[in-house]
Amino acid sequence: MSGREGATDGQVVRAVLAGDTERYAELVTRYRDRYARYAARMLGSADEAEDAVQDAFVRAYDQLAQCRDPDKFVGWFFLILRNRCFAERRRSKDVAPLEAAGAVAAPERPEVPVEMAERRRALQHALLELTPEQREVFVLKHVEGLSYGEIAERLGTSVPSLKMRMHRAYDRLREQLRDRAP
Amino acid sequence: MTDFHPQVKQLLDGELTLADLAPELRAEGEEALRLLAAVDREPVTLPGTLGARVLAELRRRAEAPGFWRRLRLRPWTLVPAFAAGAALALLLSPPAPTRAPAAVTVRFVLFAPEAQQVALAGTFNQWDPAATPLVRTGAPGVWTATLTLPAGQHQYAFVVDGARWVADPGAPAVDDGFGRRNSVLSL
Repeated sequence: MSGREGATDGQVVRAVLAGDTERYAELVTRYRDRYARYAARMLGSADEAEDAVQDAFVRAYDQLAQCRDPDKFVGWFFLILRNRCFAERRRSKDVAPLEAAGAVAAPERPEVPVEMAERRRALQHALLELTPEQREVFVLKHVEGLSYGEIAERLGTSVPSLKMRMHRAYDRLREQLRDRAP
Repeated sequence: MTDFHPQVKQLLDGELTLADLAPELRAEGEEALRLLAAVDREPVTLPGTLGARVLAELRRRAEAPGFWRRLRLRPWTLVPAFAAGAALALLLSPPAPTRAPAAVTVRFVLFAPEAQQVALAGTFNQWDPAATPLVRTGAPGVWTATLTLPAGQHQYAFVVDGARWVADPGAPAVDDGFGRRNSVLSL
């Protein structure tokens, strides 16, 4: 194993801060996909997720010296991406209503039956009608498969408050899906 | 009424099964499970070119007009400075672009927790200890000043509380001929 391939996040971060900017690509390669699905579900499309992840990596570079524990770069990066996703949804909501924008991308997947694809699209559309906080807890639990305890640790909040948020999300999703039902 | 029953929410949370629900809640439970079945858990893969695009963006910004360079304060390099109560100046920039810039922005950092005021004096301000004060940052005891200097060599020192001249231990120094050491910065 080469030294670079085996370098820890902390070693790469320190090298970048010491001026070896090119090594930042190692962190991008290592983590570009880890939260891509989270971003895609938060924002409604893989294209928007790609923009958000790219932007988050640039922002993380800008703020790299503020990463208190370089060995925990990825957790810190997640919070930057999260802020980016929240800001983007609020901004786009202000600019263009989802209905008008037709914002929910539904990639064609031949292996997914049409009916299931339609239900997925409806749910994703309903998810985008939630607040970002509600959507996030739903995505982290039901898409990423994290437990309430893991989510609470990652977001620095409590399990009861997450449950309250999630339960409101369930009710709103039900309402949205009923409204959209033919 | 569109709210799910609390027990159905427990079902959605994975804390109950459909069989745990009272018979009158089964239909609502099945509706809830259909909702979860529609969750798209397909992985999302981003293009392998993302790293190159991020680096291209970083280079573009590094070469932006004004030659503003991204400046970074490295907390761990402050640790020895903490012990010594000394100063350091950081010139932090991406690797040199293909052509040398006419000016470079540099952040000078001094860790001086006891200081009431700190200034920078050097060849770029005619050694005027009042010309370039440093300001406190959010980090306790850390003072900084950011200057855009012409390319070339500069000599400087920090002036603490208007009287104490402190060379930068993180930079090479030369004797000023009067018994003091001046730090040297080559841009």
